[in-house]
Amino acid sequence: MTILKVDWIGALFAVSLLAAIPLVFGSSYIVGVMTVALCYGMWAASWDFMSGLTGRENFGHSLFIGAGAYTAGFLNVNFGANPWWSLLAAPFVAVLFSLLMGFPTLRLRGPYFALAMLSASAVMQNLTIIFSTYTGGQDGLNGLFPILDSTLAYYYLTLTFLVVSAFLLKFIANSPWGLILRAIRGDEATCQAAGINVTFYKIVSLMISAAVAGLGGALYAHYQLQVGPDLFAVILSINIIIMVYVGGMGSIYGPIGGALLLNVLTETLRGLSEYRLWVYTVLLVIILFFLPQGAIAPLWRRIRSVFA
Amino acid sequence: MLQILIYGAVISSIYALLAVGFTLIFGVARILNLAHGAFYALGAYGVYTLTANLHIPLWLAAIISVLFVAALGVLIERVLVRPLRRSMLAVLLITLAVALMIEQVLLLIFGSEARNVPSLVDVTYHLPGVDISGQRLLALAGGIIVLVGLWFFLQFTRLGTAILAVSQDAEAAQYMGIPSDRMYSIVMGVSAAMAALAGVLVAPFQTVIPSMGLLPLVKAFAIVVVGGLGSIAGSVVGALLLGFSETIIAFKISIEWSQIVSVAAVLIALVLRPAGLFGKRAAF
Amino acid sequence: MNALLQVRGLDKYFGGLHAVRDVSFDLQSGAITGVLGPNGAGKTTMFNLLTGFIRADSGTVLFDGHSLAGLVPHQIVNRGLARTFQLARPFAGMTVVENVEVACLAPRVRRSGKPRERAHALLNQVGLGDQAELEVDVLPYGDLRRLEIARALATRPKLLLLDEPFAGLGAGEVGPLADLIRTLHKSEGLAILLIEHKLREFMQLVKEVIAMNFGEIVAVGTPAEIVRHPRVIEAYLGTAQIGGP
Repeated sequence: MTILKVDWIGALFAVSLLAAIPLVFGSSYIVGVMTVALCYGMWAASWDFMSGLTGRENFGHSLFIGAGAYTAGFLNVNFGANPWWSLLAAPFVAVLFSLLMGFPTLRLRGPYFALAMLSASAVMQNLTIIFSTYTGGQDGLNGLFPILDSTLAYYYLTLTFLVVSAFLLKFIANSPWGLILRAIRGDEATCQAAGINVTFYKIVSLMISAAVAGLGGALYAHYQLQVGPDLFAVILSINIIIMVYVGGMGSIYGPIGGALLLNVLTETLRGLSEYRLWVYTVLLVIILFFLPQGAIAPLWRRIRSVFA
Repeated sequence: MLQILIYGAVISSIYALLAVGFTLIFGVARILNLAHGAFYALGAYGVYTLTANLHIPLWLAAIISVLFVAALGVLIERVLVRPLRRSMLAVLLITLAVALMIEQVLLLIFGSEARNVPSLVDVTYHLPGVDISGQRLLALAGGIIVLVGLWFFLQFTRLGTAILAVSQDAEAAQYMGIPSDRMYSIVMGVSAAMAALAGVLVAPFQTVIPSMGLLPLVKAFAIVVVGGLGSIAGSVVGALLLGFSETIIAFKISIEWSQIVSVAAVLIALVLRPAGLFGKRAAF
Repeated sequence: MNALLQVRGLDKYFGGLHAVRDVSFDLQSGAITGVLGPNGAGKTTMFNLLTGFIRADSGTVLFDGHSLAGLVPHQIVNRGLARTFQLARPFAGMTVVENVEVACLAPRVRRSGKPRERAHALLNQVGLGDQAELEVDVLPYGDLRRLEIARALATRPKLLLLDEPFAGLGAGEVGPLADLIRTLHKSEGLAILLIEHKLREFMQLVKEVIAMNFGEIVAVGTPAEIVRHPRVIEAYLGTAQIGGP
């Protein structure tokens, strides 16, 4: 069987598994945890698409998440719009942010792009707190309407969006576009010398990344039914990067797995509240030292090599 | 007016200690040390434990605390950072892990309530328009002395020159017989010591809680970017700029707006002049 | 007929250093010309100026009748001016054929055939056909040079700038590479401008030589004329007498 065929089968298997979860575990608590995990999956996959492929690490991914979530908040709470509009508007607003930040920062090399994006998200976090009359300040906006009435149906809605985004991102990653992104990672100057407009590809990829992240933000907002400045927090960006690391950078599906795994892990350890962060950090250290390629993508490649 | 001048100077001095330590380890070893704020917190908690539990005189506790954190910094560099040096992201994540672990340990041992550290100088000076505590002045003086001392050390001693050489070109320095690896450890120790010293100096008048290192880390980092990653002069100038603008804005507008100064400064600096004011390595 | 490349008064300062001084020359299409000069003469800087990697302080460059002023590297490549680098930096983490395939995706050539197929054909042309599926990291230095050339050719250039293609090659590798360049020059009909130090291969390869020193052109002529030119000799050997002070 070809690698592609096995990948497809694996993907279908994973999606079926995710679809079956609410049917196996009836509790709405678990469905809720998994819905959040799916949102993280979208955030991780979108980060991986841009930063995992090009190697230009973005430390401010929460900028797009917060942008999408607050768009949902504004439209729904401040303007009373139909919640479905959030899903349409959120990616657009997030893309606008990516254009605004992308143009001045993508030409920066090394850690500077990462730091610029990090500061941008921190600035937004501070601004949302300062302009509290519009944004609700520290408390944020409360009382968003759910998009669907049942949490079960909402889980499937979120799953659908995750699957569609993931397939889209993976499709682009496997296309000539993805080849160019990987070349950008290899050497930008050589890329230029090969006649490729590197800036264009970086900016558009950032826009795509932002759109998916923003959509995830809106989905998250309409699940939690509230948005707060924490959605712009640096720690959120870092958590996502850790999930991507655990999953395996550059694979798109690995980070999704990493997101699901880490969300489930943190929930199961909720009982051990003090030690939860310990486990998290120990896991991080283990990955950094012993599994630099991540855990999930290499595991899948092993499994795949048996069949392909 | 005088209030702003003095408070601004005190804050700038502390920021300068933190920023210079941060930029030193980045300039020399290319390590973005996210545990820098944790070292600051450890300095404060070290002084607290030694004075409150072991009843050691404050001045001695300060010295022990700083040395302990310096040693810890060296240990972390040797054991955790060195194996991961090939990837900047990995180094960043490991220092983050260290920072998280240290914060958790402090939380477990000391809990989340603020701790009280006695002042070394228990006098309050009354000047026209402002009352200033002796401890704050000590912080200001301490910062200046240490920074000047560091400058002399780097410019006029063999070890200092070696460190500067490594920061310019580690490989070339290696060919000259300078053991880069050992330099990284030494610089990490110095950097950690400076952060701890800052923590020691402010402990009497700042809130001592396990997460106290987070904001200072953000500030140090902002200063270093604005001043130029790897430039000590830049960090000092940046610290002055940030310290004073924060103080002025906090007094004239609001505390909330003063907090945005640091991150906004980073953003503006990166967009307009990525190398920073004095940066050696251009960001392009 | 107008020259393919017309350079007039090219000038570049790096701080106080006048790296390229008032450089002017013409290059006809189909020509194969060399740029000679000691280290620091400004040769690579001139290449960087022509290809848009550095911005000139003054001067004009007309390529195929159009000015290249203000254009960035990828735009210049898409006008038909390709280059190789002195220090080959391939796309790490990708295979040899993928390295060339990327260049086949440049707007100029994207529609002229399936990128993957063109890439294979180009690799065959430079003699790397068998290594197509290897990871580029395992390629020896000499083969990386060939890869650079394949990548540059992928964009169907009218003018190819080769920056020290023979640097770092062992004695046995220089000849085959020179032959390759000669063959490509004939078969593709493109103009070639190359920088080199290795005199013998260089002189046998090029029809005309531009000699540079301290950022300016000191002589232009055939290889035979250049080796006897007093200013060229001075540039390489200095003016001091042997045994003098």
